[in-house]
Amino acid sequence: MSKPKVASDWMAGCAGCHMSLLDMDERIVKIVELVDLRSTPITDLKHPDETGVDVGILEGGINNTSNEEVAKMMRKRCKILVALGDCAVFGGVPAMRNFFTIEETLRRAYVETESTDAEGKIPDDPELARPTRVRAVHEVVPVDIFVPGCPPDADTIFYVLSELAQGRRPDLKDDKLHWH
Amino acid sequence: MINLTIDGQQIEVPEGTTVLNAARKAGIHIPTLCDHPHLKPYGGCRLCMVEIEGFRTLQASCTIPATNNMVVRTTSEQIHKARKFILTLIFSERNHFCPYCQVSGSDCELQNAAYGEGMTHWPLQPNWQPYPMDASHPYFILEHNRCILCRRCIRACSELVGANTLGVEERGAKTFVIADLNVPLGESSCVSCGMCVQVCPTGALIDRRSAYRGQNTTVDHHQTLCVGCSVGCGVDILTRDQQLIRIDGDWDAPINQGVTCKVGRFYPAFDDRERLKAPLLRKNGSLQPVSWEEALAAAAEKIKTAAGDGIAAIVSTRLPLESLVLFRQLFADRLGSEMVTSTEEGSRTAILSRWAEKLGKAFESKIDQIHEADAFFVMGADLINEHEVLGFFIRRRFPEGIKLILVDEDQNRLGDLAHCALIPQKKTGAALLKGLIAAVAKLGQNRVAFNGQPDEEVQKASEACGVASDLLLEAAFQLTNNEKSIIIYDPAVTDDEVMDLIIKLSQTSGAAMISIKGGANALGAAQLGLDKSLKLNGHRLAYIALGDEEPKERLIQQIEKCSNIIVQASYHSRLTAMADVVFPVVNWLEQDGHFINLDGRLQIAARVLKPAESIWTNEAVLSALADKLGTALESEWEKVISQRPSPVSIAA
Repeated sequence: MSKPKVASDWMAGCAGCHMSLLDMDERIVKIVELVDLRSTPITDLKHPDETGVDVGILEGGINNTSNEEVAKMMRKRCKILVALGDCAVFGGVPAMRNFFTIEETLRRAYVETESTDAEGKIPDDPELARPTRVRAVHEVVPVDIFVPGCPPDADTIFYVLSELAQGRRPDLKDDKLHWH
Repeated sequence: MINLTIDGQQIEVPEGTTVLNAARKAGIHIPTLCDHPHLKPYGGCRLCMVEIEGFRTLQASCTIPATNNMVVRTTSEQIHKARKFILTLIFSERNHFCPYCQVSGSDCELQNAAYGEGMTHWPLQPNWQPYPMDASHPYFILEHNRCILCRRCIRACSELVGANTLGVEERGAKTFVIADLNVPLGESSCVSCGMCVQVCPTGALIDRRSAYRGQNTTVDHHQTLCVGCSVGCGVDILTRDQQLIRIDGDWDAPINQGVTCKVGRFYPAFDDRERLKAPLLRKNGSLQPVSWEEALAAAAEKIKTAAGDGIAAIVSTRLPLESLVLFRQLFADRLGSEMVTSTEEGSRTAILSRWAEKLGKAFESKIDQIHEADAFFVMGADLINEHEVLGFFIRRRFPEGIKLILVDEDQNRLGDLAHCALIPQKKTGAALLKGLIAAVAKLGQNRVAFNGQPDEEVQKASEACGVASDLLLEAAFQLTNNEKSIIIYDPAVTDDEVMDLIIKLSQTSGAAMISIKGGANALGAAQLGLDKSLKLNGHRLAYIALGDEEPKERLIQQIEKCSNIIVQASYHSRLTAMADVVFPVVNWLEQDGHFINLDGRLQIAARVLKPAESIWTNEAVLSALADKLGTALESEWEKVISQRPSPVSIAA
């Protein structure tokens, strides 16, 4: 049997979940032995294979039209979709901006921030992605496996990946299940 | 007894037990949120749903009483589905950001319930409607985004404290926890006892000082005694790495059963007085840090010069019996000083000790009586501002229809709640009491023969004290018409005549008596005779063992007259600034020892924190001084506390 193909990507998050993945130290070698690691944001290949992968991992919530595309592409190209970390699972810290309108957040970020000079301007190039309300991944595409945690710790990620690599569905409970 | 089966286990429980409590008794876990063991069942959250044979739907186990032959199941696919659904709805209602909530990890009962059901996500996302946060209170914050409307805080505020500050407005999803008629907490009638914070199952009520500094899994718990006043509440002190994190009321403490006031819960954590770190000695007019040896030698020299009548010695009533006994031994017995007293100067206890001696027996009751009484006669005691927990014990019982008769010459906020508030003219308390005794006789309820004409006496008293005779009769009626009555008074506002009349009123009406004593060990100090009124005339030296007490203005003014001042204290104060020698000593968290509370309960306070190396215990300082003076002290408090008759029986 060929090794299962795994791809990952990140959206509205802090990259901390991918850092936590790297935090599994030498066990990453074992993961690479078990799976065929395809595209990730920290390797050369950036998009999951058009021919599809077995497992797709998404970090971060969905906060603009570009994230929507990333999520939809991953969903289309993978068999099992994993939402990794609190932002992907719940919306997380970026979702705090949902308390304000998009206009308010853009004005704060590009005009009112203390470090912005008088010429502050909200970017409006049509090429740019359009910001949206921050959503959990499962609000946009169906998710198969939720791995909460801010970030999920390396042990949990290792457990999830090794279970998936061996064709089992990970069951998160006890010390592997935390939302913080 | 009731016999029922839960998860196949046969259980016998007393009638009236809820299914939830029956399960708990059998060690079967049912998840709960709105339920709290010390609050009445409420049935609000529905998380504790169980299957009961014969019932069409799931039942809330917290409110349904167990009945004979009931067959209950606490786990099934249907139950787990229901629990998950309930949690899903709760999480979708407000905004829970676990990663930065102070209770996330082990202290959040909501999160723990979700973990218990294996929830990896929220099937329904919140709609991110922001809710306000009330940060107007000095000690805690109400964060509505995390509130699950379980109403534990509201129930604690009324059922445990009787403050009734918290309530809800609106209905359904618009329901909101509010203070009074929706005013900011900091401007409300809140008494700052913090019971709401202690019972909150989520992070909605945030204690400003303990938040993010430790969780149940990372702190040490110490069950000990609050030394804020003479009630002697049990407290649960949370520490981490030798730091005070938080103080909770100890649910297992016999006196307060979990309830505590702001003095016990918040004052210590918010105490920002500067700590004394090294012995200080006055050199060329200013206080200089010196070694213990140098400070002790200098103090001993001053004491030797002033020995005998030249020394006035004052000790704090916040110190344990162990310290008080050594203090008395050194200054009264060994150095022969006549003026050895406490910081309270027996202002409350001296008259009680005198009457105990006169009567030859204890005449006051135990705090337990307060929980059984139906009528309260409160005289002079301001239970809103001090000995607050006693006030809570009364206020929380108003829904039961208890009657409060209040006698106070001054404004007393308990007056708003009183069935009859008697406001005598200044210094006419004796006349009022005479009128009440006569009124009891006029009602024919007197248990002691009454000599004279009750009608005339009531009328005469009414004219003397300015309280209408109808009111006197009403008060006498409430005092005698109820099964159990209790007189709670402040001895500081009595004299021998008033004291005599209170005892007579108690005897003729059958009401029990209890008085507030002041400091945590005021009664202990009284038993050791440390209750003289402080009078300085020609004393050359004042020695004050202040402990962690904040010196009163009156004390500072008196001591100012002394040419030599030695202070052992925990904190810098105006008194230490005046001193010639200052010894840094432990504070209440760093000392252990015995205390006698207002109803004679002998309790042990345990050391919670380790003092810094340069800080000594009060006993160590006194013993070292005795050594320098060529004498030795022995702790013998067990023998001495019962040598003098006490107003209330003393027992562990």
